[in-house]
Amino acid sequence: MVEVKNLTKRYGASLALDQVSFTIEEGSIVGFLGPNGAGKSTTMNIITGYLSATSGQVAVSGKSTLDEPNEVKRLIGYLPEQPPLYLDMTVKEYLDFMYELKKVKLPRKQHLEEICRLVRIEEVYNRLIGNLSKGYKQRVGIAQALIGNPPVLILDEPTVGLDPKQIIEIRTLIKALGQNHTVILSSHILPEVQAVCERIIVINNGRLVADGATDTLAHDLSRDHRLVLRAEGPETDMLSAIVQMDHVLEATSLGEKEPGVFEISVEAEQDYDLRRDLFALLAEKNWPLLALKNSDLTLEDLFLQLTSSDESHAAGAEEGDEETAPLEEGLPEGPEEDEEEDSQPEGDAPQDGQE
Amino acid sequence: MGNVKAICKREIRSYFNSPIGYVCVAALLALYGYYYYLVMRMGSSSYISSVYGVMFSFSMMVIPIITMRSMSDDQKNKTDQALLTAPVGVTAIALGKFLASFFVFFVASTLGLLPAAVLNFFASPAWGEVMGNYLGTLLYGGAMVAIGVFISSLTISQIIAAIGTFAVSVFLMYIDMLTSSISNAALSKLVEWVSFNNRYNTFTQGMFSISAAVFFLSVMAVFVFLTARRLESRRWS
Repeated sequence: MVEVKNLTKRYGASLALDQVSFTIEEGSIVGFLGPNGAGKSTTMNIITGYLSATSGQVAVSGKSTLDEPNEVKRLIGYLPEQPPLYLDMTVKEYLDFMYELKKVKLPRKQHLEEICRLVRIEEVYNRLIGNLSKGYKQRVGIAQALIGNPPVLILDEPTVGLDPKQIIEIRTLIKALGQNHTVILSSHILPEVQAVCERIIVINNGRLVADGATDTLAHDLSRDHRLVLRAEGPETDMLSAIVQMDHVLEATSLGEKEPGVFEISVEAEQDYDLRRDLFALLAEKNWPLLALKNSDLTLEDLFLQLTSSDESHAAGAEEGDEETAPLEEGLPEGPEEDEEEDSQPEGDAPQDGQE
Repeated sequence: MGNVKAICKREIRSYFNSPIGYVCVAALLALYGYYYYLVMRMGSSSYISSVYGVMFSFSMMVIPIITMRSMSDDQKNKTDQALLTAPVGVTAIALGKFLASFFVFFVASTLGLLPAAVLNFFASPAWGEVMGNYLGTLLYGGAMVAIGVFISSLTISQIIAAIGTFAVSVFLMYIDMLTSSISNAALSKLVEWVSFNNRYNTFTQGMFSISAAVFFLSVMAVFVFLTARRLESRRWS
């Protein structure tokens, strides 16, 4: 549906995008991930035709943005980072204007009402946009993108500035839209992308550093297969028993987490599922197994690893392997100075509910 | 061309949603009335053409205010993203913006005919000259509006746009004086050709000059085109 080939964008001497290529299939929700200034917005601006690429091609539905710009624009609904709202208009006037601007053929009243119901802005329909709260402005921005029912939606940080309840609503909305639209959304909030997107494209410093399905991306990229378990029993005995198991490469204790309960990280051979063996062993020795989880890289780890390794290429190696203790709460301290508000681990963080 | 209409309509609405449209029109009309009073009543003359001659220079001062926010505001508020990512050509955007600004000027100029209409009850003003002045003002003003919109597209600051347009406007008004001081004949000829005033003056004498009308219309077309190019070039920056 959306095909991006060798996209490069220069702003004067600085290289904003460097040979970015990807293809997005029809009907999928794709998340663009990357720190601030990575090139997410630039990519989106190029796809939507707001900016032009220095080199490379973009095609939507097989139509090139260079040859048929207006045809392509008709296929895309775009919510830029800052919603393009005329503050001196009411919501109704603004949506009417966008409807005319996009030369939509659908029955106007019905179409606009439907959109307003979808993004829940009926109650502010006759108010001045300038007087609306940030959350409502954002929704009007989304409504604007939906006018004309374009098959492709490009949303640049759609939940920024919304309260938690609104964020959940917008996510639900995006998921619903994903059923009959191709959605590309950017974010630097990892749980958000994880919650909404089927596929993730990670961009850093203008380069594409990872691209894959949300569920498997972390798994595929982690080099080893590590399990983290909690069991009640004598620390040294447990460790030595586990190390002596087949297929185990290494076992290390991560310390006493509860009275008499130790956390142990076990590294198994690649492609061997050790979980059943571990359970059997611990049950046999009567050491109750209290928690067991894969410690494949979480999205957070992955993100930090990808982006920091990229930076350490340039700036000499920084802390390289930080992700050995993923059961600890919170993010490992990474090098980027992204907004603090994003760093709560939220529900998907690796915790096993002991607190 | 439905796009042009949509953009133009929005712009006009925006002029009159904010005080700008009203203030520009009202200021012009107040100045018209004031000067009309000075000349007609105090001078006890029905020679209205002189009123319109001075009115014209008032208009030139108001035009920069009308056009200053035309393109710069969009850039500042990022609303140009809505325009440029909609299936609309850049020329349609530039044209819509120009027509809206021109409309405000048109309203003010047309209402400026009221003094002459009032005078019509008591005396017979030289309607030929009045209409000539009116048409000339619209044409000259239209060219200045197009230039103003273009200058507004060069900056995101309304102030810079206004001052820039004002400077160009004054420069053009007095460009004739340059001709006498230029010794190079060809250059002098060129400056004379550019002169807006020479062409405008034909109208003030109650004559309709097709060549002058074509000249002003061409200036409008050129600057609308340049504004469109400017929009396009921003994509490549």
